[in-house]
Amino acid sequence: MRRYLIQRVLAFLPILIGVSLLVFMAIRLIPGDVITATLGTEAGMLTDTQRESLRRYYGLDRPVSEQYVNWITRAVVGDLGISTRHGKPVTELIAERFPVTLQLALMAVTLGLLVGVPLGIIAAVRYNSILDLLVRLLALAGLVMPGFLVGTLIIFVLSTVFGFLPNAGNFARFNENPGLNLQQMIFPAITLGFAFSASIMRMTRSSMLEVLGEDYVRTARSKGLRERQVVTRHALRNALIPVVTLVGVEMGYLLGGTFIIETLFSLPGLGRLLINAISQRDYALVQGATLFIAFTFVLINLVIDLLYAAVDPRISYERNRA
Amino acid sequence: MNATALSLPTEAPTRRPGAFRRLLTNLSGMVGLLLVACYLLFGLLGALGATPYPPNEQHARDRLQPPSAAYLLGTDLFGRDLASRLIAGATNSLRVAVTSVALAGLAGTLLGIVAGFAGGWVDTLLMRVMDVFFAFPTLLLALVVVTVLGPGLENAIIAIAIVYTPIFARVARAPVLAVKQMEFVTAARCIGSSAIRVLLRHVLPNTLAPLIVQISLALSWSLLTEAGLSFLGLGTVPPMASWGVMLNEHRALAENAPWLIIYPGLAIALAVLGFNLLGDGLRDVLDPRVQGRRGR
Amino acid sequence: MLKWMRLLLMVAVLMLGLGSALAQDSGNTLIMARAADTTGLDPHTQTAFASLRLLELVYEPLVTLDANLNIVPALAESWTFADDAMTLTMNLRQGVKFHDGSDFTAADVVASFNRILNEETGAAARANYLSIASMDTPDDYTVVFNLSVADVPLLAAMASVNASIVPSEVIESGDFAASAIGTGPFILDEWIPEEVTRLSANAEWWGEGPFVDGIEMRVIPDEASILAALRAGEIDFALLNDPLVATLLNGDSSITLNAVPALAYHVFQLNPSRAPMDNLAVRQAMSCAIDRQEVLDTASLGEGTVTGPLTIPAYQVDTSGFFCYQKDLDRARELMAGVEPFTIKAIVANAEPPTALSEAQSIQAQLAEIGITLEIEPLELSVYVDRWLAGDFDSAIALNGGRPDPYTMYARYWTSAGNLQVVTNYIDETLDSLMAAGRAEPSFENRLEIFTQFQQHLTEVSPWIWLYNGFEYTAHQPYVVGFEPNPTDSLYSFAKVTLER
Repeated sequence: MRRYLIQRVLAFLPILIGVSLLVFMAIRLIPGDVITATLGTEAGMLTDTQRESLRRYYGLDRPVSEQYVNWITRAVVGDLGISTRHGKPVTELIAERFPVTLQLALMAVTLGLLVGVPLGIIAAVRYNSILDLLVRLLALAGLVMPGFLVGTLIIFVLSTVFGFLPNAGNFARFNENPGLNLQQMIFPAITLGFAFSASIMRMTRSSMLEVLGEDYVRTARSKGLRERQVVTRHALRNALIPVVTLVGVEMGYLLGGTFIIETLFSLPGLGRLLINAISQRDYALVQGATLFIAFTFVLINLVIDLLYAAVDPRISYERNRA
Repeated sequence: MNATALSLPTEAPTRRPGAFRRLLTNLSGMVGLLLVACYLLFGLLGALGATPYPPNEQHARDRLQPPSAAYLLGTDLFGRDLASRLIAGATNSLRVAVTSVALAGLAGTLLGIVAGFAGGWVDTLLMRVMDVFFAFPTLLLALVVVTVLGPGLENAIIAIAIVYTPIFARVARAPVLAVKQMEFVTAARCIGSSAIRVLLRHVLPNTLAPLIVQISLALSWSLLTEAGLSFLGLGTVPPMASWGVMLNEHRALAENAPWLIIYPGLAIALAVLGFNLLGDGLRDVLDPRVQGRRGR
Repeated sequence: MLKWMRLLLMVAVLMLGLGSALAQDSGNTLIMARAADTTGLDPHTQTAFASLRLLELVYEPLVTLDANLNIVPALAESWTFADDAMTLTMNLRQGVKFHDGSDFTAADVVASFNRILNEETGAAARANYLSIASMDTPDDYTVVFNLSVADVPLLAAMASVNASIVPSEVIESGDFAASAIGTGPFILDEWIPEEVTRLSANAEWWGEGPFVDGIEMRVIPDEASILAALRAGEIDFALLNDPLVATLLNGDSSITLNAVPALAYHVFQLNPSRAPMDNLAVRQAMSCAIDRQEVLDTASLGEGTVTGPLTIPAYQVDTSGFFCYQKDLDRARELMAGVEPFTIKAIVANAEPPTALSEAQSIQAQLAEIGITLEIEPLELSVYVDRWLAGDFDSAIALNGGRPDPYTMYARYWTSAGNLQVVTNYIDETLDSLMAAGRAEPSFENRLEIFTQFQQHLTEVSPWIWLYNGFEYTAHQPYVVGFEPNPTDSLYSFAKVTLER
């Protein structure tokens, strides 16, 4: 177990280095720099001396390799540099924005589970019936339209029919005003969670079907337990194991920021921070945010794998045998 | 990943006949098949140019007309016939979805099988590279690809393909790892079958079931990703019609010309729904565990 | 299972109820929203419109523009231009204080202009003030600008946020990123990028006002959501960009929509250094083939006016006098005689302006009628800017900012020494000499004559094809009283606004 853990953690490093290198090159490969991004076409009015002085100010005058080494050596000790746009340390910005994205992801996943798991069980118990199909259609409804359309529709209906807007640009963090915060977060969370519930439903259904065919469930059934008890007491627990994996993967994606939903609902999350940083050519911020997102992603995957190994009796059995 | 690994066939592969027939008895598979067939039909019509009007023809006097006898589904900002553009859009969206998934499927499967079969440092190296792409924010990746290569249908396809390659690699690798350990493969190798032969005859067929399911799901994601890219202006280049571009182009007009949003939205929704239901149906049909359930 | 669903529904209903209960009373603070945010706080180097909208409330130049684009006093009470247009004397307002309490004097004016002119500063607007050879300060409240050439447009060029006066002490300490110390009607309290900017009223402001306690500038990235916020009564005031969104308010009596003809113009730019656009007849044919009104009707739903190069109301003349301003396909085909059908590309920035892609598609369909294939190349904004500045395009769809003076507006493009000559790729002695004449001429009548000739010549040689100018949109609740919409989109008149809820 410990060896496995060490191996996994060591596998982190090349991924993170790869990501950092890739993003470092990628952002510089795209034409335009912070000067043209900030000044727009007015950048053409700059004299060569002016441009040089600005490049020096932004640290763009040094060779790319030197910039990378400087950045990565500082990143190792947790210093991700200063954002040119915000004039603040990148770490501080991430600390400001990440909780918003984390909260949104947690809410979306919770909603997805609340809707997806029960629907999945129903669909499995009533395998290949009309109810099965209807339940699937219901769950899929959130997944079949692009997020930006679902979000737009939600905002449109709320504001025209109910005269209510989830967020009018006065975003409140949870610790500042929990009531207002929940009111602002619930609809984006529904938008995301609804889409997620479809995958949860699918996974629950198929693993439920699988588990219901296993011997111990048959045993339980033959002991005379009622079907309801068989499902909830015996089958469900094991059926949910793969769902946990799915939640992990999905969390990884959601924590990378869901830029479109954040934009539509004016949420100051990580995704919007990153996308704006890209269009602003805020190199330090793009690099820092991407590295952070990648880090979270692999970390969650690791945690899920460990959790998985801890929960699933089959895996521990195999390990003992090996 | 792990979930897929668990639902592997445990017996030696024998081609079970009648998978298609079983699909027909599967309710959601049927509905999915029907929807996908409709989609393909429209795609074909578009490819043949069988549209009421040329999809890019502007009728300056008939801008933003609601659905009528002349324009079945109304017209857009340029007075272009929405119905014609939806049909042309089916073709283009299909082209994006199929090509990108085919590219990602081929590259991913190949990488996954090679990694899984070779094992050792090859496996580690390949999968670490895949992890890097996996951990990289999708939109940034797509943005980079499109800005470096330039905008356009082909480059949107490449961008989407790159994004989905790692997923296919993972899906393909897991069953290979499992199959590799099985007796019939070990046996085949013992009696001197070449690695290639073992791969083709024994390993590849076993990865097919999860791959087929994966493909049908990836097609639906790819449709949505194209729409998402066009939200960022990175999708198909106007005036070429694609459902994503149509939706995004007219988002601001939703209030005054709702037909411009409703029909493309519906088109995407039904196509994605079709692929999803078909994928689910295929999974039911191809997964032996679920098959066991049917006997109850 | 059903219980869960019911619970979920209840929570949702509760949220909605909570929402209305929580609608806070914002009192006497003006709450406004816009899609784009400030990109930085240095008034001399920031050029993005979104930045100017904030900075013009905090910093002030010597002179400013009223709603009719007349030059009116700001930090200078009055001024005199010598007859030969070689010296400009500014009499400064007395008793003005910066937000940090220090006095505004001639020294600050000199320090500010020196900073702008210093190349190390990196101020793009520097090019507009290059005629300043030296500055004298006979007393604390007089500044004399000695010019190296006769430069009438200098005064209008000074009516810009980029010529704001900042305290000389701040210039010495050199930190503009952290604080914003100006003389303006509002004091910057807090700027949280991409979220909110808070300003409070400057009680010491020299003018009358402000009458609100402060301003809360929110960023709502999606314009449809801004509209929704306005309708829901969540915000008092909004800046809108997209005509497709703004026109949704046209029939809405509960919201006031201001639409002021903009100085900025939509233009289809050709690159005359590339074949076949190097051929005058080809460029003219393109100009004749394009129905400008149709582009306007399609892309902006008719919200705007077909225009020649000059969008300044005082210099605008009847467009029917310009070359081929009525679509003339026969003439276009005649001009194209002997020219093989060809294909060129048009670079278009994504959503900048929101109408760009529609304009491109309308032009594309029209050019097809004379055998020209236009391929649209949509680019991310910074990529577009990069390509545009390098002159790396066959043609470009652009929305260019306007200026209150024709010379300042076009010297960069159509004079041989212009900084953006590399973008226009077009040098023309007639244009050059007309520009020089207009610069030195103090009389308005004569200048009108000169610049009308300039417009006529420019539309005839057609290096660019001017299309139309749209509107600058602002929208607000009816209880917002006293706002004066400005063709430059300036928010300076927030100082005069009262909230009569």
